Amino acid sequence: MLHNYIKIAFRNVWKNKVFSLINILGLSIGLSAAFVIGAMVFYDLSFDKFHPDGDRIYRVTTAFKSPDGDFYNAGVTVPLAQALVDLKMEELETVAPFFTTYPLHVQNQETGDRFKNPEFVIYTDASYFKTFEYNWLVGNKESALEEPNRVVLSEERARKYFPNKELDDILGKSVMYNDTIPATVSGIVANFNKRTDIVFEEFISLKTAATQDMTNAVNEANWNNTNSASQLFIKLSKRADPIEVQETLTQIAKEHDEPEMVAIGRSNTYAIQPLADIHLNPDYGTFDFDDSRTTMAALKSLLLLAAILVLLGCINFINLNTAQAIQRAKEIGVRKTLGSSRKQLIFQFLGETFILTLAAAALSFFLSKWLLTLFSDFIPVGLTFELFWNHWIVLGIVLLLLLVTVLSGFYPALVMSKYEPVSVLKQQILPNSDKGSLRKYLTVFQFVIAQVFIIATLMVGKQLNYIMKKDMGFKTEAIAYLRTPWRDTSAIKRARFVRQMEELSGINQVVLSGNPPASFSTMSMGALFVDEEKEVNSDLQLMYGNANYFDLYNLKLVAGRMPLNDSIREYVVNRSYLKVIGIENPEDVVGKNLKADNEMLPIVGVMEDFNQHSLKYGVAPMAFTGGSYSGKWTQFRTIHFKLNSLDTSDWPTTISRVETIWKDMYPESDFEYSFMDDTVKKFYESEQKTSILLQWATGLAILISCLGLFGLVIHTTERRTKEIGVRKILGASLFQLNFLLSKEFLKLVLIAFLIATPIAWYGLNYWLEGFANKTTLSWWIFTLSGLAMILIALLIMSVKTIASANTNPVKSLRTE
Amino acid sequence: MLLQLNNIFKWVQQGGQRIFLLKDINLEVEEGEFISIMGPSGSGKSTLLNVIGMLDTFDEGEYDFLSESVHTLKEKYRTNLYKEYIGFVFQSYHLLDDLTVEENLEMPLLYKKVKGSERKALVADMLDRFNFVGKKDLFPSQLSGGQQQLVGVARALIGKPKLILADEPTGNLNSQQSEEIMELFKRLNKEEGVTIIQVTHSEKNAAYGSRIINLLDGRQIGL
Repeated sequence: MLHNYIKIAFRNVWKNKVFSLINILGLSIGLSAAFVIGAMVFYDLSFDKFHPDGDRIYRVTTAFKSPDGDFYNAGVTVPLAQALVDLKMEELETVAPFFTTYPLHVQNQETGDRFKNPEFVIYTDASYFKTFEYNWLVGNKESALEEPNRVVLSEERARKYFPNKELDDILGKSVMYNDTIPATVSGIVANFNKRTDIVFEEFISLKTAATQDMTNAVNEANWNNTNSASQLFIKLSKRADPIEVQETLTQIAKEHDEPEMVAIGRSNTYAIQPLADIHLNPDYGTFDFDDSRTTMAALKSLLLLAAILVLLGCINFINLNTAQAIQRAKEIGVRKTLGSSRKQLIFQFLGETFILTLAAAALSFFLSKWLLTLFSDFIPVGLTFELFWNHWIVLGIVLLLLLVTVLSGFYPALVMSKYEPVSVLKQQILPNSDKGSLRKYLTVFQFVIAQVFIIATLMVGKQLNYIMKKDMGFKTEAIAYLRTPWRDTSAIKRARFVRQMEELSGINQVVLSGNPPASFSTMSMGALFVDEEKEVNSDLQLMYGNANYFDLYNLKLVAGRMPLNDSIREYVVNRSYLKVIGIENPEDVVGKNLKADNEMLPIVGVMEDFNQHSLKYGVAPMAFTGGSYSGKWTQFRTIHFKLNSLDTSDWPTTISRVETIWKDMYPESDFEYSFMDDTVKKFYESEQKTSILLQWATGLAILISCLGLFGLVIHTTERRTKEIGVRKILGASLFQLNFLLSKEFLKLVLIAFLIATPIAWYGLNYWLEGFANKTTLSWWIFTLSGLAMILIALLIMSVKTIASANTNPVKSLRTE
Repeated sequence: MLLQLNNIFKWVQQGGQRIFLLKDINLEVEEGEFISIMGPSGSGKSTLLNVIGMLDTFDEGEYDFLSESVHTLKEKYRTNLYKEYIGFVFQSYHLLDDLTVEENLEMPLLYKKVKGSERKALVADMLDRFNFVGKKDLFPSQLSGGQQQLVGVARALIGKPKLILADEPTGNLNSQQSEEIMELFKRLNKEEGVTIIQVTHSEKNAAYGSRIINLLDGRQIGL
């Protein structure tokens, strides 16, 4: 029986080559998108699932509430860990604090080999290893980190620092961090071999931090200072209720809130974050900064996209199969008279659908491989094609295929198996009796989706173009900057660097200052504006620089004057700040004071607003000031320079000369510089990604829908061959015939446009709400996309209609 | 008795009026009979045949097939009943174009859930008997009309039915081919005792049968 079904199915697939191809192509596009997106979701959801007590491990994090919004910090105040230990709560099995640290280099004491910027180094103690189960290759988890100046290495690091040595021999050897902190290897643990965000590789004993490195952070810690380097993990005991632990933490946070802060609406609270949540929660982030993380929301939209593409493929299937049902009516009738039950017929048709789905799946398997390389920017590095052999993924694919089969095959099967043998065999079912209203709805649905995508792509492109082209409010052309190594505190070196750069012919202007006007790193302080009767509390962003910096970036002073010099604490605020404190005339604010940390800070001037970040956000209240602190903690660490803009061809040479100076001055550090224009572009990375993804989605949606349309056009024109012949003999022109054939479908495209417009308008309006600077939702976007859709549809249809309108009528009528 | 029709009525509503397709049909068929149904176009011949074959329903009356009352049976049991005992032969053969001669013959057995080895044997027998061994891998479109109808008859016979219903089996054939088919029917009827009911326009074909039923406007006449 089965054999017979499969045989018939193959012959049917083969007989209708064009339709089968359309079905397979449409489905495989949807399926490959689904495969890749599914793999991404699986990948991102499969982090840290292997820890023995993973469901009991939580990270304690901090959330700050303030009138300006909520802020999150993955770290906690340092005393919290000890406070939790002192409480001796029976709910807590372990309390594991650690500090992340970023040493400049580490040296193998024996060979003298140096390794720059070791990543994933933490200070911690035995509690960490009680929380996370590691496989100890050498050493003992209880005592390894007991003493100061001990380090436990991961196997990979051990092999890197001590090549060609047995693990046993590495024990007791020592390494030196930053030339000052010695550490003896007291244990080696195997790296986690499954996907994890617990990426640490070097574990230095916590006592080392207290005495030699982060002495300030560890010893002088108080309840008012939260540093993301201070991490805290806890493992709950078996029957503990997370809610109770959370309540205790909330209570502790409340006890330590400062009353004066609470009075102005600022408070902080601790939250327990399940281990499984770390990977996808953008509020707190992970420990690997290089790895761009996706979020649950992004995954959900991708899943939706995959579902839509698969659905579009299924619709093609339903449309083409119901359209062709008539041609199979005879077979159905005969089979029924020979004793086939309806159920058997349904299974037969579902089987045929499954074969097509399988073919599509085979094709999409290869497509997925290609997609993975094509979209490597969007796909996490660890996700490779090998993931498709994972048994969960395989199971998922099988289920998806079954779902697709049922989704696309069940309705046609139902329709076809319904034919009564008597009416079929008496030829009472005429080809024209099939009205196909469901097909119309489905086609409209496909085109609504394609249309929405087209409108969205155009609009997102327009908005992106708008914010990227819009004036930031300061000069960016030909300006670049580089950050001097933050560990090197020598002001003399920096001054010398600037002097040497000034001598280069390709450079017009060099300024040592703070961060550029717009960047990813911002400084801010809580400031209190005091006028005679009113006080306004707000956050104030800080920009550190001098008159030359002002000049370099072409910033504009609108009232008052610049600070007298670099070190004096005088402030120039921007217009946005005036709005915050409710003063209209810039002159009025000059001479007033800000109060911060019980110090009066004079406002000496007002500058024009400019954007400190992506134009997605508005202009933040900001104050410009000198370096504020001299010496070790100065903000003047970034060297800004303007290249001779006349000959851009010389730029690489100039930059390489700067690099030579750098190598000479800071041989330990890597030379890195950024052009201001590039930095600004980087603000829009996520929008650009959205735009690219949208373009692809649009292309694919159009492709699938048009494939379906093409199939339907073939079907109808073939059905109307006789009509075309008769009309032609009666004198219809080619254009009239084309119009006749396309009319029905154009109507559907128009209806789709009418439905799509409000949907797209609503969605885009919502999306634009998120931007402080936005273009208008112009009517021409809608008109243009509507026209584009009609044009595409016409093009597709005319491929077939022109050919059939051109057929010699004598031929088509004779065959009747 | 093979089957019995009592007071069968079948009608359609058209413009508020009942139009009778079958009107008070009474028929008894014994096993081994060879009956021809005759009448002008639209007299209800095919409808009667379809009712007998359980492919079509009727609105009033009783129909017993091998002592089962068909009118009370559920569709599933009806399917089983005709699958088991009835073979159909059509005017336009209704072979499946996508299947070879051999596969066309095999199909009814598949639906009767006959085992693989037995199926092969039965198909081989039938091919042998109809001299189709050399043509078993051909598709229907590669055969002449007469040959196609022979395959059609063979397909109807392969399930060893008690009753063969033939709706103008020779309507699309020339006289020589027609004669061949009718001779085959006669032989089947005589030698194997298969009951045959055929619809035909031709007096000559009707003469092969043992009894003629004349229909006019859905009524039996000349009883």
